[in-house]
Amino acid sequence: MDSSGLTASFDTFIDSALEWLGDNGEFIFDAVRSSLEGMYDGVVWLLELAPFYVVALAIALLGWRLIGFWFGAMAGLALILCAAMGLWPETMSTLALVATATALALLVGVPAGVVAGFVPALDRVVEPVLDLIQTLPPYIYLLPAIALLGYGPATALVATFIVAMPPAFRLTSLGIRMTPHEFVELGQASGTAGWQMFFKIRLPFAMPSIMAGINQSLMMAFGMVVIAGIVGSGGLGETIYGAIRTLDIAKSIDAAIAIVILTMILDRFTQGVASIGYGGKR
Amino acid sequence: MRTASIESGEVLVDCRAVWKIFGDNTPAAMKAITERGLSKKQILQEYNCVVGVANASLQVRRGEIFCIMGLSGSGKSTLIRLLNRLIAPSLGKVVVKGKDLAALNATGLRAMRAKNIGMVFQSVALLPHRTVLENAAFGLEVQGISKAERSKTAEAALAKVGLADWIARYPDELSGGMQQRVGLARAIAADPEIILMDEPFSALDPLIRRQLQDEFRQLTKELGKSAVFITHDLEEAIRIGDRIAIMKDGVIIQVGTAEEIVLQPADPYVAEFVAGISRLHLIKAHSVMGSVAEYQRTQPNSDVNALLKTTPEADIDELISLTMQTERDGIAVVEDGTVIGVVTPRSLLRGVKGSPPPELAAA
Repeated sequence: MDSSGLTASFDTFIDSALEWLGDNGEFIFDAVRSSLEGMYDGVVWLLELAPFYVVALAIALLGWRLIGFWFGAMAGLALILCAAMGLWPETMSTLALVATATALALLVGVPAGVVAGFVPALDRVVEPVLDLIQTLPPYIYLLPAIALLGYGPATALVATFIVAMPPAFRLTSLGIRMTPHEFVELGQASGTAGWQMFFKIRLPFAMPSIMAGINQSLMMAFGMVVIAGIVGSGGLGETIYGAIRTLDIAKSIDAAIAIVILTMILDRFTQGVASIGYGGKR
Repeated sequence: MRTASIESGEVLVDCRAVWKIFGDNTPAAMKAITERGLSKKQILQEYNCVVGVANASLQVRRGEIFCIMGLSGSGKSTLIRLLNRLIAPSLGKVVVKGKDLAALNATGLRAMRAKNIGMVFQSVALLPHRTVLENAAFGLEVQGISKAERSKTAEAALAKVGLADWIARYPDELSGGMQQRVGLARAIAADPEIILMDEPFSALDPLIRRQLQDEFRQLTKELGKSAVFITHDLEEAIRIGDRIAIMKDGVIIQVGTAEEIVLQPADPYVAEFVAGISRLHLIKAHSVMGSVAEYQRTQPNSDVNALLKTTPEADIDELISLTMQTERDGIAVVEDGTVIGVVTPRSLLRGVKGSPPPELAAA
């Protein structure tokens, strides 16, 4: 058998495996799809509950409290610009997509990272897998997802989840492992129980690293959400994808500006929360 | 005297023939030591294990400050961690307040550490995201004491170390010396009988260090606590300790009072350490005095009862002052109304220089 035959049979195997999964696991994937879309629709519904100026004002106020007056004002104005460009619904669905995918990624990544911080064996097994996930081009995750979950936001969510999860896991695990030795000794010598050691000593020291992980996850999710426009994610990603297909350069730039605005606001927000969580004492 | 009451006191920490070996094959290495009597070097070569503490025995009594002096790598930090079982011994027993630490379960050990054994670290280890008060209350918080009560206790502890005005500050706003005071307050807030001090003042500058040494000694005595104090500085050990253990290569070479160690070093290693120590406040009249008979032989015309008098506990510094006040060439050392010996200028000089008086050397 020559090498092309080998590759061909491997490809056939993967194809039929996916087909088999799609046929036999249909009820599972349908359930996954409907629950993911349900979550996404719920967040979209929430975000579209209020008119754009109310949302912009709320984010401006939050930005003022978390970061500073000027940041808040600029954030509010930038969001109004998004609405003025006629991209408000798209901006909100992108926000919903990013928020849902990041929330899922954190829900899995942070607790798993905590466990891996304590169990080096788990860390050793998971690290190469994460390396693989992070080196493969993110487009790759769209194809199996679309095969199993179909065209739509559910596929975008799954692919985004896969890309956004590794940083949360890695930096959480790192943070837990990095507890300074003398503080572990302090905990032991003070007679702390296991949970006290975790919540009173390890977690506070891990917090900056965990917050950095959350921030990184969010940024990865933003990157992926745009790519996921190809699979019908909705939102700004799809707008850009559509604009590329029709060579509507102006529109693609509008959408790109909206994405930059959203990204910058969320990036600064998570950093602001991080500084409050740890060093925000003064 | 203070040592007399300590000597009769209850033994709080009893460390019996304790060994600690680090490495992957410690049980076999331990067996080789007990059965074949291998040396540290052989253990390292044959089992690739490092002997941290070798056959260390010590007893700390109620109210006593026990110093362990040794250079880095001497095993002193390992030894102090054996006393609250932060490190479990490879062989031997550590008994605290009559309880074998190895026999306690996890809960019992936690309770023992939380209530009976406080610890102060060289690195201070103040939690940076907590205020001074919250740091000082940490041990009580761990014990589940209510916030109001633990704040009150911690505040009192901080007041004892002179930091009453700093309770709302954060650790990084304090100087090194103040931070270490918070560490001490945290240790005494839980009101333990025993305080383990792991080189607490080593990182401080000399002036602050001296001040803290004196404060620490005074506070410990006032509160009636026992302390085990680790240091690499013999002067610090002498300043603080009621008794001193000298460690080298994991072995306790000598245990004794500062005076015993300075006057009768157990081996050349200790002697070398002791050589640079100022004797002025260390050597007492009873160690340098000559006998009355000897004095009368050399000074037949002098009446012992006419000499200036002092106690056996007077140190050389005091004796020099007395000698300078008198025309005569001797100070009578009086105990319970009788003259037990005479300090002459010659014996004083001998005391300063370091060679023992002829009778003691012969004894």
